[in-house]
Amino acid sequence: MKSSYWKIIGFIVAINLVITSVPSLLQAAGMASEYAGAYSGDLVWQGAVTMTDDVLVLKGGTLTIHAGTQVNVLPAVGTKIDPEYLSPQTELLIRGKLDIQGTPEAPVRFVILETSETEEIAWSGITLDRAAESFIKHVELERADIAVRCVESSPEIKGVRIANCRYGIVAQQQSHPKILGNKLIDGEGGIVCLRRSNPYLLENLITGHDEEAVFVDASSRPLLDRNSISGNSIGLALYPRDLPFDSVGVTDNQENVRWLGRQGQVEAR
Amino acid sequence: MKLLCCLLLMMLTMPISTIASEVLVYQGEQTIFKDTVWNGDVLIDGILTVAAGATLEIRPGSQIRFTRFDSNGDGIGEHEIFSQGIIRVVGTAADPVLFTSAEENPRPGDWGAINMMVSEEENSLEHSIVEYGYRGFHAHYSRARLSNNIFRNNMRGAQFQESQVVIDDCRFLDNTNGVQFRDSKVTLRRSTISGSHWGLRCVYSDLKMIGCVIENNLVNGVNIRDGEIEARGNRIIGNRRGLYLQRSKGQVAGNDLSANSEHGIFLEDSKVEVVDNRLVENGRAGVRWLNSNGRLARNLIEKNGVYGLINDGTTTVDARNNWWGSNTLTDIAAAIRDGLDRPGLGLVDSRYPLVQPLPFNLLLETP
Repeated sequence: MKSSYWKIIGFIVAINLVITSVPSLLQAAGMASEYAGAYSGDLVWQGAVTMTDDVLVLKGGTLTIHAGTQVNVLPAVGTKIDPEYLSPQTELLIRGKLDIQGTPEAPVRFVILETSETEEIAWSGITLDRAAESFIKHVELERADIAVRCVESSPEIKGVRIANCRYGIVAQQQSHPKILGNKLIDGEGGIVCLRRSNPYLLENLITGHDEEAVFVDASSRPLLDRNSISGNSIGLALYPRDLPFDSVGVTDNQENVRWLGRQGQVEAR
Repeated sequence: MKLLCCLLLMMLTMPISTIASEVLVYQGEQTIFKDTVWNGDVLIDGILTVAAGATLEIRPGSQIRFTRFDSNGDGIGEHEIFSQGIIRVVGTAADPVLFTSAEENPRPGDWGAINMMVSEEENSLEHSIVEYGYRGFHAHYSRARLSNNIFRNNMRGAQFQESQVVIDDCRFLDNTNGVQFRDSKVTLRRSTISGSHWGLRCVYSDLKMIGCVIENNLVNGVNIRDGEIEARGNRIIGNRRGLYLQRSKGQVAGNDLSANSEHGIFLEDSKVEVVDNRLVENGRAGVRWLNSNGRLARNLIEKNGVYGLINDGTTTVDARNNWWGSNTLTDIAAAIRDGLDRPGLGLVDSRYPLVQPLPFNLLLETP
């Protein structure tokens, strides 16, 4: 009788242990499917995962996304003010480290989960806010407000396809990302450099934007190197008159280069 | 001898009890049920509730510190003041009340908030400094008056829902987000919001904003969605986007909306009268107008980056009587992008341009 009692107690304890440890084990192994909230440790995503709300990686934490992962994004109702971190839309906010390990053969894809209320711009995008050294490689991003926003952050962004976003990449507040071999297609603006940001833009394809493919404010000094910029309203919109750039690939925009700082459009309507 | 020993014991223990009494400590979950006055240093090592019907008054020079306790690892401390009664903070300019973290190396989010829930009597914060909280000030279904306070280094300077709040002469500095609210009626006067990602953001609210400085915020200076605004005499400068109105209505008069990285003012599906403002040196455009109604008149619109005015919608923009930085029609046309440049878009009526700029003054009084 006594031994049966202890067997039952042991069984209950074992069940409890399984119930309480499985989610964290799954999460550590990247097998949990739904994510929302703040994460302080190391988080690994692989297979198919869903952002059901904002995801925040805290300072000291790391989010690793393996090649071939599909990240489903559930759009938020655009009027919420709580519990969002920066944007009212669903956002991936990195204050730690982001390591997206897509490959040309197995890119990481962010996919919008449509609802009846989903707007054309369906989510906020990825924001790196004073983040640690990060890598965003071979990712497909679509319909974000800003696909990748860097605030005092300098990730390497390589082989990423950004389509139908309001802005592709915004570097602001002394962000110096390496933007290498990406495709930015059919947005409002392509790459925006603000407030003393000096990204390196190499061999990117930027096309089909309603406004500027590349916008540079007066305080920023990006290095523009062998980019292909065509089919946009304005190819390069530049404040700094002394900015060196390679103009060979800046062709067939409605206006290839617009120098800013005065209203410079010369044709009368 | 016994008496001597007792006296000696009393003398030895007196300094310890005196020191202990200098800091009032609340540990765990405690509730104030009757009117209470704090006049000195207080340590909150838990959640302190002010019960309905009770008033907590905090006198000048008091310092309220909160320990950090983050039970779920989300980076947000949970210790706070939770009030269903009345809070009256009565600091002075010389002796403000301080709400801060008790941590040696404090950081935003160390503690929760000065949190008010269903507090219908008017709460007041006067001459205080609120720092390192999650939400410096937070209210639901409450009335409050905030004057001469500094909210700095919080995740959100202030946040409220379904509340009536008057904010005068406050400074919201270097919070992650400055002020955000929904379903509220808010008056904001002579206050500064700077160094945030979002300066001020609200939905379903009524905002009167007069004589404020909204500057150096990284996303939007001011964003109103589905609300009403009366904005007069404000300087909304040096943000990424200055004033962004979505499905909102109201009047924007006599403001300086300049030197924002993108647009000085962006109207989307809104109905707004934009008059007597200064819109200069914005990075992309002074005004971006998208499917909105209203009028743009007597504004000073010049030296903006790509355009002075962009009409991205299908409606016609009434933009008569503005200064466009030049007297020549060619220059004025160059400053405007509309359906003449992009077939399918609405036109801009820019007739009767001003032949010289009107002197600009921040408009603090109702015209």
